[in-house]
Amino acid sequence: MKHRFELRVGPVGFRIGSAWRGPVEALRRLYAGYPQPEGVCDFTVRLEPERPWRRALRPSVALRGDYMLPGAAPLALAHGLLAAEMGMNLQMALGQRRFLLLHAAAVEREGKAVLLTGHSGAGKSTLAALLGERGWRFMGDEFALLDPESGLLHPFPRAVSLKNESLALFGGVDPARLGPVMDGTPKGTIRHLRPPAGAVARMLEPAQPVRILFPRFDPDAARDAREVGAAEVFVRLTQASTNYVALGRRGFVALTRLVSSVPARAIDYATSEEGVRLVEEHWRG
Amino acid sequence: MAGPRYVADPPGAIASVDLEGLTALFHARSGTTHILAPPAPQILQALAAGPADADEIAARLAAGFDLAAEEDPAAAISARLAELEAAGLVWRESPSSPTSGAKATACGQPSG
Amino acid sequence: MGIVRDGMSELKQEEGASAGGFVPSRRTVLALGAVAASTVVTVRPAFAQAAGSVLNCEIPVPSPDKVGNYIASDGTLVPPGTPGAFAPAPRPLTGEEVRAMMNHGPTPSGIDPEAGQAYLNYIRRLQAGTSGFTCFASLQMPR
Repeated sequence: MKHRFELRVGPVGFRIGSAWRGPVEALRRLYAGYPQPEGVCDFTVRLEPERPWRRALRPSVALRGDYMLPGAAPLALAHGLLAAEMGMNLQMALGQRRFLLLHAAAVEREGKAVLLTGHSGAGKSTLAALLGERGWRFMGDEFALLDPESGLLHPFPRAVSLKNESLALFGGVDPARLGPVMDGTPKGTIRHLRPPAGAVARMLEPAQPVRILFPRFDPDAARDAREVGAAEVFVRLTQASTNYVALGRRGFVALTRLVSSVPARAIDYATSEEGVRLVEEHWRG
Repeated sequence: MAGPRYVADPPGAIASVDLEGLTALFHARSGTTHILAPPAPQILQALAAGPADADEIAARLAAGFDLAAEEDPAAAISARLAELEAAGLVWRESPSSPTSGAKATACGQPSG
Repeated sequence: MGIVRDGMSELKQEEGASAGGFVPSRRTVLALGAVAASTVVTVRPAFAQAAGSVLNCEIPVPSPDKVGNYIASDGTLVPPGTPGAFAPAPRPLTGEEVRAMMNHGPTPSGIDPEAGQAYLNYIRRLQAGTSGFTCFASLQMPR
């Protein structure tokens, strides 16, 4: 393809090809400082015109690559960076076989990892990114990679997609870490934030999971923390994994071992500060 | 009425993990995962000794447990067997042959 | 702690029972449950659910292989011109629009409200393998 970018994120190498220059330039700026993949890339993302004539006329970016899903709607060229991010997510969701994928954020402290899992919009991305600015190592906000053999969590520190309201919480960060403002995307107005340099430098360091948290952000909610039983955690995590079934017995062993050895809590909070405090209180002991 | 005799895969074809009193179970032949509450795992275990109907299963269970049932034990066990059957974990013994050849197990061993 | 065992699962075995043995040294009560109880849950991981957040999707009504059919108010497909049935949607519906309708929100722009309900019922009836099913499945909230 005309324009190319290669990127390593944790143990995964991506090649992104694009018919347009814009998305590749935006990726290069957003992921400044990230290493190149070594050897063959694990996944290829292709940003292509929906139809050949849509490359120039009302450009429409279709998400294609090694793995594709029918019914995926194309995006406008102005949202090309978002298309590249979604393309990488799709490759992982459909093609990842080495690790059990959990739709979760993860942060690390003292060699121990905390999983933040739950529905989209529950607040885990914002919480993980905030913790990453408060002394925790940011390991990822979209996917947590569980190694079935070792039981360790591997980092996958991609840029965090932040919605309007959450962006205000990151006013003090180096502006060079922020991607372009994109209005009118399927997720509303968003901006991407590159993880801190320490998180990027340590992207190959796994960590032992010690806590599973189900955070729920609700301005009307009372602050709360309660235990969640192992069987319930197990079922909820199978719903949060895109490749549990594909991994077969390896997936079963990995997930039962995780929920048997790692306690879980549900935490409700009304402000992000409260959320950070709850994580700090409930991540061990 | 004892009802039909049921067959289960041999224990080697199943992986199970206790999760705080519930059992997570991986059925290798189908690749499906199930969560079972008592007495379902115990019923599966009882079938390891060979095909059995609800009465026979009740007898096998009674050898190791004190059975508590709101109604007739065999009726409760029949209901559990129906659930296990719907999940693909047990099936009815074929009337023509005691161990159905079509139900080849993961390790090629005959049931029972 | 959970230990994966092949064969006999770690059930309520008392100490002193032989490995893999069935008879405990002290008897435990085993409740058999009411006839109507539910003791077996098959885990059906919805790939689409987890992937839904990574996907911007749309659902054609009806699916491309059923072009030409009309949609009855209960969502079934009927021959074109059937009285009381609605013409195909003028454009595919986006996942967000369908989610809004499912939450009793507004009808998508350019869509007649009654037709919108018929389209929603059609979408609810989608089976795996039909165009749009993955998108629809991704909109379901677990439990």
